[in-house]
Amino acid sequence: MKGGAKVVVEGHRHAGIFIARGKEDALVTRNMAPGESVYGEKRVSVEQEGGEKIEYRVWNPFRSKLAAAVLAGVDNIHIKPGARVLYLGAASGTSVSHVSDVVGPEGCVYAVEFSHRSGRDLVNMAKKRPNVIPIIEDARHPQKYRMLVPMVDVVFADARIVGLNAQYFLKNGGFFVISIKASCIDSTAPPEAVFAREVKKLQEQQLKPKEQVTLEPYERDHAVVVGVYRPQKKKEQ
Amino acid sequence: MTTFLLFESASGYGLFELTAADELGGVDAVQQSVNDIQRFGKSIKLAAFKPFTSAANALEQINAVSESQVTDDLKNFLTTNLPAAKKGKAKYKLGVAEAKLGSAIQEETGVPCECNEYVGELLRGVRQHIATFIKGLEDRDMARAQLGLAHSYSRAKVKFNVNKADNMII
Repeated sequence: MKGGAKVVVEGHRHAGIFIARGKEDALVTRNMAPGESVYGEKRVSVEQEGGEKIEYRVWNPFRSKLAAAVLAGVDNIHIKPGARVLYLGAASGTSVSHVSDVVGPEGCVYAVEFSHRSGRDLVNMAKKRPNVIPIIEDARHPQKYRMLVPMVDVVFADARIVGLNAQYFLKNGGFFVISIKASCIDSTAPPEAVFAREVKKLQEQQLKPKEQVTLEPYERDHAVVVGVYRPQKKKEQ
Repeated sequence: MTTFLLFESASGYGLFELTAADELGGVDAVQQSVNDIQRFGKSIKLAAFKPFTSAANALEQINAVSESQVTDDLKNFLTTNLPAAKKGKAKYKLGVAEAKLGSAIQEETGVPCECNEYVGELLRGVRQHIATFIKGLEDRDMARAQLGLAHSYSRAKVKFNVNKADNMII
């Protein structure tokens, strides 16, 4: 990133995410594997007071729905340092690498991808990041990877497979973050109607939506829905 | 009628016994009690655990389990630790996570298997509290086992299929 010594990194409202302020502001995450770019993204290193350097990687909202949701002002993504995340539809792992940065060494990301072509990149990326657990398997059949995944705090999915996976792996009161692409589900209906219908389907599976943001201008007709699974009643005292 | 549960993990096979089914109640009640290990731990106890002997052994097991096949190791584990099953007269049943594996076990060993929503809820509880049930197995150890096994499982998948058509979800 240009600007060199002038770049200042500040914490974002969301724990584990940062903003680099230089000539232009950018969303960044703290690199778990310093010295390495995953998909050619820019890196910026900032010297700490003790002379120690911390490296950050620029998180492109045009390439990651999660980054787009953060910039779109989502209230809470629940993906934070120390969290255990099940990430369905991990593709080559570009977004997953940033989730790996966010949850840090105390957290982990169980990344599921079925396509062997992108799965190969995912496996290679995971070699350098011990908090990424790559699973090349069909996310529509969670029982196939039941030996590899514990109970998790958050499920992230970009497809309609969140319910079944939540049943196996998402703890009571755990969170889900899903992105819905209206045209993928029904290209004839208006996007708002598609989103509303999908939200209703979630409710039927004990997935209670809490908030919804659209990803303009980064994605067209795309929404991210965040919610809670099997919400726990507060104990009456 | 006693109920046992089979829990397959990255470090080994676990067999659990449901000791107080009445206290747990139905599906909804189990959903609630899972949060409370005091209550859940009273109703379920570990009957046996068999750690996998090596990374290669673990890979062999997960490959079979994900394809709903019964390995010799699993068969031995079940026949050693479950009460002897007389055909059609067993006084217990075994709850499993997946129906196909259940019928394969039933065929191989004669153990009557069951796979339903109730078993699924119980297994959620076991998954959540596995470190409490098995002494000497921390969550961290399990995570490490999952990491190692996931790499070997996934690496074999991408390697094994190089000449085949890519799996695409359409």
